[in-house]
Amino acid sequence: MREKANGYRLMAKGYRLKAKGYRLMVVMVLLLSPFALRLSPLFAQSNLNYTVRVGAQGEVQVLQDFPESYAAEKVNIKLGSLETLGTLGDLGNIDHLDFVFAKEELPLEDRFVSVYSYTDESETTWTVWRSTKEPKNTKLRVQTRNGRNAFEHYLHETLDEHRSHGWIWWVFAGVALALALVAVCMQIIQRRKEKSLSSVEQETLRRKRMGMRRHYISQAYLWVLLLVLYAPIALIAVFSFTNSKILGNWTGFSLDLYANLFTGKADAGLNSAIWYTVIIALVAAVCSTILGTLAAIGIYNMRARSRKMVSLLNSVPMINPDIITGISLFLLFVALGMSQGLVTVCIAHIVFCTPYVVLSVLPRLSRMNPNTYEAALDLGATPAQALRMVMLPELWPGMLSGFILALTLSVDDFGVTFFTKGSGGLETLSTFIYSDARKGGLTPELRPLFTIILLVMLTVLIYINFRNKKQEEE
Amino acid sequence: MNKIIQIASSRRTWAWPYILFMGLFVVLPLILVGVYALTDIDGNFTLRNFAKFFTHSEAIQTFLYSVMIAVFNTVICLLIGYPAAYIMAQEDFKTPKVMAMLFILPMWINFLLRTVATVELFNMCGLPLGEGALLFGLCYDYLPFMIYPIYNTLQKMDNSLVEAAQDLGANRWQSFWKVIVPLSMPGVYSGIVMVFMPTVSTFAIAELLTHNNIKLFGSLIQDYITTTDLLNYGAVLSLVLLIIIALTSFFGDHDDTGGEKGGLV
Repeated sequence: MREKANGYRLMAKGYRLKAKGYRLMVVMVLLLSPFALRLSPLFAQSNLNYTVRVGAQGEVQVLQDFPESYAAEKVNIKLGSLETLGTLGDLGNIDHLDFVFAKEELPLEDRFVSVYSYTDESETTWTVWRSTKEPKNTKLRVQTRNGRNAFEHYLHETLDEHRSHGWIWWVFAGVALALALVAVCMQIIQRRKEKSLSSVEQETLRRKRMGMRRHYISQAYLWVLLLVLYAPIALIAVFSFTNSKILGNWTGFSLDLYANLFTGKADAGLNSAIWYTVIIALVAAVCSTILGTLAAIGIYNMRARSRKMVSLLNSVPMINPDIITGISLFLLFVALGMSQGLVTVCIAHIVFCTPYVVLSVLPRLSRMNPNTYEAALDLGATPAQALRMVMLPELWPGMLSGFILALTLSVDDFGVTFFTKGSGGLETLSTFIYSDARKGGLTPELRPLFTIILLVMLTVLIYINFRNKKQEEE
Repeated sequence: MNKIIQIASSRRTWAWPYILFMGLFVVLPLILVGVYALTDIDGNFTLRNFAKFFTHSEAIQTFLYSVMIAVFNTVICLLIGYPAAYIMAQEDFKTPKVMAMLFILPMWINFLLRTVATVELFNMCGLPLGEGALLFGLCYDYLPFMIYPIYNTLQKMDNSLVEAAQDLGANRWQSFWKVIVPLSMPGVYSGIVMVFMPTVSTFAIAELLTHNNIKLFGSLIQDYITTTDLLNYGAVLSLVLLIIIALTSFFGDHDDTGGEKGGLV
């Protein structure tokens, strides 16, 4: 009896140990995943970007700095015909690398040039492409098809030296490996303990372990997915705390961008875009909440057939993609001869927000007692009074969700705004980002702005979830 | 006066302003797309715009390419999103509720900013922008729209059916393919619709993710519609897109298609 109890205690302990081991492995996988990605051939190929400037005479100069020992032997790429290729030679003779392009043949799009390396008999692919923004800057990319050759390896190292954040990967890898070691040790200890158990107990343990394995693999999958999903967002959030102009360049911790944003020192276009976004979102949300609530009440009281018709009409703007809504409204405003600006954008936003308000109010209506309104009328209330004092208190949670939804939809919208904003210089945040990104680079103050928006969204979502849960419990 | 009160107190009429508004700003504009497609610049009836589309190889190629990209994106989203939704909905995996929310949260962050962030991420890692980046970016943008409806149907699914299948001798694999997958099909359909439709009509994303090297159908429409002389041709292209949309929504025709973000809050 005592032995059995001991065995179970051992088992329980074992589970805990096991669980810890698995948890550590999940963390390890998470930590390793960026590292593994970086080591994957996908990344290895593409780390080798360096800029080549094409001069007026068509001479090409490599802008990437080389270590001093190679300084005398800069890579020269002369112009000539694309088909005339130089050989890579061995590592010591980089100046053998004479790439020859005809000026007019310098391609505008990606074009591959294959180079055979004699050092390790691998084939290297050079990609030459011209930046469309600045035609004089051409980028040269080196890719290896069959393994890495010495030259490329050397380039790789050079580039890594220039990467100030290169060490961070090694920290990731180190921590992950240490965790892996701990996890493996735990497994070994556990195995040893298990040996003293009876076969029945071992069998139950095995089953349990299978379930646990499935559990942890699935959890790891979710977390890796979340990691990828949030990586770009995290990038923006992290780089909102430095004052560098370019995203990805850490120049030390600073709250300057936040300060700029709140003191209005940011780009004037950004400031007006923020204001327009807020105004449009509020107008659209208020109008669509009123319109949508009335419509929902109306629809709820309709006969089945007309109800179906209106519901269909209601779903049209939701099914329509942004671009169709935008273009069709654009054509309407053109046909009506309306000048496009704030008014048209507001109308457009009301159009695509209202259906969602209708949908969030309708379920509330079906939950409430349909006779209370009539009772109020019978007791002498006017329709307005009955609406205000009887229906609104019942409907407001649905209206609030609809309002919040309309706000977020309006702030988020790009497609519809783009086509209805006209050419009068009206920009909302979305269209501002778009024109900004097309010009190249992002206004730095956008980073703190969106970090704040993200946090607000997160809080609202958590609050709503919390509220819903509370309501369910009640 | 009494009559007005009577009309106002019959709540059926309260939807009238909305119906009027929708008629003016939803139905009429959609009709206008057709009207513009069938007229020339002076407003005379013509079929030349349609004829132009069928001989315009750039438009047709871009169109086919966009559809292909959209199909690819939908398949990738489905392959990645289904397991995620399944894992989250499965009770024995004990996934925290917050997890599902975290997957949906990116939907509320401006998709352009997310796209720009993706571009920056690619630049930082030294990855080239191009088709791969386009697919990654699209998948990244639309994955939540695939996960959410599938998660929703899986969660509402009657678990006793799975238990019944297992009691009747089905193993995990069988009960997954024979019970869970068929029951989750409505969610899969609406996920497909919600990913495919925006992808096929996307514009702006492709330009940012590929340095203007790849043009999708949406961008083409945008180019034409914003050029005054070619507005009518742009309307034809929009009409083509509308037909595709109509076909897709017909394919995924059931009531929670329109739910999109509606059920979230």
